Amino acid sequence: MLRNLKLVVVLMVFSLTFPLFAQGQSDTAPQKEIELRWASIWVGNDSKAPAVEALVADYNAKNAGKIKVVVEPQPDYNAYEQKVRTSLAAGQAPADIFTIKFNPTTATFYGSKLLMDFSTTMDSDWKATFDAGSLQQSTVDGMLKSLPMETAILPLWYNMDAFNKAGVTTLPKTLDEMFADFDKVKAIGMAPTSQMTGDTNAWTSMIWFSHFAVAFGGTDVWSKPFTDPAFVQAATLIKKMITEYSTADAVGLGAGGSGGHFLAGRTAVFSNGPWYAGRADLAATPFFSSIKIAGLPAAGPTTDFMISRLQANICAASSKDKAKEAAILDFMKYLTSPASITKIAETSGAMFAIKTDYVPKQELQKQFYTAANSAKTTAFDLEAAMGSEVTLEFAQQLGALALGKITPEEFCSLVDRKIER
Amino acid sequence: MKSKQTPTWIILNILKWVLLITLLAVAVLPVVWLLISSLRTNLELQVSPFGWPEKFQWKNYLTALSMASLPRLLLNSVVVAASAVIVNTIVTAMGSFILSREQFKGRDVIYTILTAGVLVPVISFMVPYFSLITKTGLYNHLSALVLVYTAVNIPVSIFLVTAFMKSIPKELEEASIIDGCGFFRRFSQIILPLSRSGLVTAATFCFIYSWNEFVMAMLLTSSIESRTIQLGIKFFTSQFITDYSSMYAAVIITIIPSVGGYIFLHDKIIGGLTAGGVKG
Repeated sequence: MLRNLKLVVVLMVFSLTFPLFAQGQSDTAPQKEIELRWASIWVGNDSKAPAVEALVADYNAKNAGKIKVVVEPQPDYNAYEQKVRTSLAAGQAPADIFTIKFNPTTATFYGSKLLMDFSTTMDSDWKATFDAGSLQQSTVDGMLKSLPMETAILPLWYNMDAFNKAGVTTLPKTLDEMFADFDKVKAIGMAPTSQMTGDTNAWTSMIWFSHFAVAFGGTDVWSKPFTDPAFVQAATLIKKMITEYSTADAVGLGAGGSGGHFLAGRTAVFSNGPWYAGRADLAATPFFSSIKIAGLPAAGPTTDFMISRLQANICAASSKDKAKEAAILDFMKYLTSPASITKIAETSGAMFAIKTDYVPKQELQKQFYTAANSAKTTAFDLEAAMGSEVTLEFAQQLGALALGKITPEEFCSLVDRKIER
Repeated sequence: MKSKQTPTWIILNILKWVLLITLLAVAVLPVVWLLISSLRTNLELQVSPFGWPEKFQWKNYLTALSMASLPRLLLNSVVVAASAVIVNTIVTAMGSFILSREQFKGRDVIYTILTAGVLVPVISFMVPYFSLITKTGLYNHLSALVLVYTAVNIPVSIFLVTAFMKSIPKELEEASIIDGCGFFRRFSQIILPLSRSGLVTAATFCFIYSWNEFVMAMLLTSSIESRTIQLGIKFFTSQFITDYSSMYAAVIITIIPSVGGYIFLHDKIIGGLTAGGVKG
């Protein structure tokens, strides 16, 4: 009997406490204030987080009682991307405002009616604040369902202290000069470059490969079959870089390890975007002030170009509620205004598709702006151009290529099979 | 009296200890490395992943606790895991009782359908779960996670507890019927107390799953008020930069309750696993 009583008590306690879990969205009372949910990736220790948080707080204060933007922090970018895909597949927008990494994979989201089409709502003044090329790249079949926000160039980083120790005082101008310099770096017992085949995109080596492919095949190389001679040449060179001019652990290494080698002074050349320039551990290295940023030395018919990408595009959920749609547009205009972008750029050093007069004070970040402005032309990297599935195949086969299990021709053929045409 | 310490016995004994120490090292060293790494700086980790801290960075733990709102997430995890365990245990106990002790048409079919869920990857339920939870208005509620974790663990729990209940001798139940026990008392006073080890085993699996789960928590919640500790760990990973030191400190904080729970209940867990596998 006592045991029965215990069971009944447990069930009663549970039934009483269960409603406590209900929170947040159950309020059905009419709301005057329009609440906009922003699934933001710029949270936590992201360099843009403090400025974005301040901007949202400022916007909410100015629109108190009318519009309130609620930031929903999205930790772990890969899981966030999966959440966006899942919610769209389930017929729901992941939030009122959210970001995507624009590439052929995410461009398929443009087919969804859940996303707001800015091409019909964007006025000429607002449009003029964006970089025209980035807007064009974000347009699919006449629809502009994501606004270009953060952009990036992906140059090569030279530790000039290491180069000087090897007796090299200037940046190489040709591919032959580059390999000669690398041989000198090797002679002082240092690995010339950071390479990697791990993670879902073999990030550092993917950037090198993109440089080679564009140099040999032109800025429109990504529209060619992957079996094109330009890709085979690029594959031959990336194999050489991994096997002869990198650390012994490059096969299977992830981005953390690749960057770690550069930070630790174990490699002399690295490749990454502007976000890496703001790292405290990079600033703490003894060679920080010696770092030089540059594009690939002349290697093929295409020269003086820079590899770039649309790093983050911002989307909004379409809404039948005109007041909510107006509120979303109002916040989007505020967020993408040159004044707001300048504030984010000042604290993060990131680069944006919105035109501003901002020039960074930090030398390394300044070099990024100079490199971006001085390049004759730009071209997407492999991931930005071909999407995540092709890049995953690239990363998976890169290890086999480096280990000599497949030839560059076979490598290109295997990646080509993953391309949907 | 002949000594047992023959050369073969000594060699086998040495091999046994070498194997045991190797297995212990494989199990323990990653946790030791994690603990040491949680007290180092990010630069130290990048430069030398296996070194000793130049100075113990206790502030990593403070950063972990404050930056990712770990105390709130920890509380949410406790509520979600405990609630999922309670609901799962109640449903499992009742379901397993019927499936193991009662005779009715279609019993085996129901059992097979329920336990077949073990073979289906949870990831394949993402879209249906997301649709169900959003349509029922439970998105961003702790109860969404409680329901999903309970449901996901039902197949394993039913499988374990049904096998355990089947091993209880029928004579005990028959004697209780002669003594006047009805259906409910047979369940609550005879079978349920005797199945305690099996239920604890199932509850432990459910707790460990609920405590460590990440994908569904990320999918079905969007604010600190309803998120769990595993999302807190990922708070140190942004699109480009990972604060490894603070993340490792958060991981150490996270594993303490589940390891503690296992140490506290390990005899019942092992007992439940082995007892459930023996026919009575």
